[in-house]
Amino acid sequence: MSWRADLLAVWAVVVRNALMASRNVFFFFELLFWPIVGVVSIGLMTKFLGITPAQASFVLIGTIALSVVNVCQLEVAYAVLMDVWSKSIKHQFLAPIGIRHLTVGSWVVGMVRGSLLFTLLAVLAWWAFDFRVLAAGGGAVGLFLFGCFLNAWIVGVFVCALITLFGNRAEAFAWASVNLVLVLAGIYYPVSVLPEPAATLARAIPLTYFLDAYRSHFGFASEFAAPIATGLALSVVYAVVAHLAFYASVQRARRTGLLLKMSE
Amino acid sequence: MPSPASALAIDAREVAKTFRSGWLRPRETAALRGATLAVPRGAIVGLLGPNGAGKTTFLSILATLLIPDRGTVRVLGLDVVRDSMALRRRLNMASGRPSFLWSLRVAEIVAFYGRLYGLSGAALRARVDALIEQYELTPYRRVPYSELSTGLKQRVALAKSLVNDPELLFLDEPTLGLDPDVSMRVRAHIAALRRERGVTILLTTHYMREAEELCDEVAFIKAGRILDAGTPDELKRRIGLGDVIALRLEPAAPAWLAEAPGVLRCASADGWTKCTVDDAEKRLPDLLRQLFAEGVTVRNVRVREPELEEVFVELAR
Repeated sequence: MSWRADLLAVWAVVVRNALMASRNVFFFFELLFWPIVGVVSIGLMTKFLGITPAQASFVLIGTIALSVVNVCQLEVAYAVLMDVWSKSIKHQFLAPIGIRHLTVGSWVVGMVRGSLLFTLLAVLAWWAFDFRVLAAGGGAVGLFLFGCFLNAWIVGVFVCALITLFGNRAEAFAWASVNLVLVLAGIYYPVSVLPEPAATLARAIPLTYFLDAYRSHFGFASEFAAPIATGLALSVVYAVVAHLAFYASVQRARRTGLLLKMSE
Repeated sequence: MPSPASALAIDAREVAKTFRSGWLRPRETAALRGATLAVPRGAIVGLLGPNGAGKTTFLSILATLLIPDRGTVRVLGLDVVRDSMALRRRLNMASGRPSFLWSLRVAEIVAFYGRLYGLSGAALRARVDALIEQYELTPYRRVPYSELSTGLKQRVALAKSLVNDPELLFLDEPTLGLDPDVSMRVRAHIAALRRERGVTILLTTHYMREAEELCDEVAFIKAGRILDAGTPDELKRRIGLGDVIALRLEPAAPAWLAEAPGVLRCASADGWTKCTVDDAEKRLPDLLRQLFAEGVTVRNVRVREPELEEVFVELAR
């Protein structure tokens, strides 16, 4: 497949997801309502508990990261979910495109939505709680967001794999998977407070390292050596595994007939 | 000079497919049990069979949506499993129960699939416009898919199926549930595709008249096997259904009529005596002569060839 055809296939998915996003009221809730509710409620809780501004920033960074990862990973999962809901999935697998086009196209839209959300929540956190999430500087923010988006892609592709493996029954993973990350990756607390087995699992999640690296700009000592490099290296491994898992589950769906059962 | 294999758009041999389901109590359903089919390039071939015969499974394997368990399948000279990506550029499919993303509009649906097949810019716009016009969808181009009627949805599916200008088109019950006038227009479009663009078409249908009108050849599939294939006339001859001579007689039909030479069977209903004979052109003069000799008045005579539906019933039995 030529580069031009690759880009066109990705662009087709970008346009489709963007059009769908612009016409669905639930996307509004995903993009604005729940994230704003999350930041406002967590911010107010930090005030009620009377914790230090540094501790508040620790929690708010986690809250914002969680929202960004959630919005972006849902968009990646929509690569398959939207077609499953409308029973049209066979048409996209009849076309001469690979799963990379689907996931990357959806990811692009997810990154746009995630960036918009990050900006919005940064402004909200600054206005309501005097927390300047952008104070770490452009480079650090860029790396942090990229880490969040990489994690979102990985989780989203795993969700796509589960849906093509188990059908509609696996739909709940799209919403539940990010909560598992929430518990383990140290969204609201440092990994060091986790019991050892859970801490070991947390160290296997790339987002843990990107959060750690970003929080170091706000005065928190890094728990890991070279967190960015470790996070990127882990992300590459998971990205390859997720892609292969999705590919294998699509091939399996072609053998079992699930692809047809989920269509027309 | 092309080899016989390259003259075939579809060359499927001994194709088998079994579906397995259930975790605790595994069940197996053999959908195809060694189906063999050859479709010449440029032909319209109908795949007919009762519900659950394996039509859609067969079509899906040929269209690379399903991987067969056994057998060899070459489509447009390519292996459906090994060369599936290259093959997908050259074929397309439309179904009688189409479904696309609900909130996308008609033009957006066609454009989305156009981009997936490598179209962009002015070429994409021209293609989308041409297909929308061809399928009389211009007034609906900005209407969301969820708001379209069944007939319009089917026309969108047909427009989408031509977006890559396919050499081979699979149509799964393309006129299912359509009004007669819309069905006629869809059939005219299908016939025009072959006539004007030389597209090879394999279609499944439950409507025998549709198959008879559109198809150069039909193949009957039952319980996962192709029972017979050929032109409608060849099949009628091979099945040996004979011609039907319907007579309106006064007084009623004499008893000897059912025993007359060449008469396979006779039945009376609604004032008509219907005799199935081996060859109407050969037997009709003798029958009329004998009836006349016995003083039986023949008030009306109708002769008709057996319909494909009767072949279907016979084979499905």
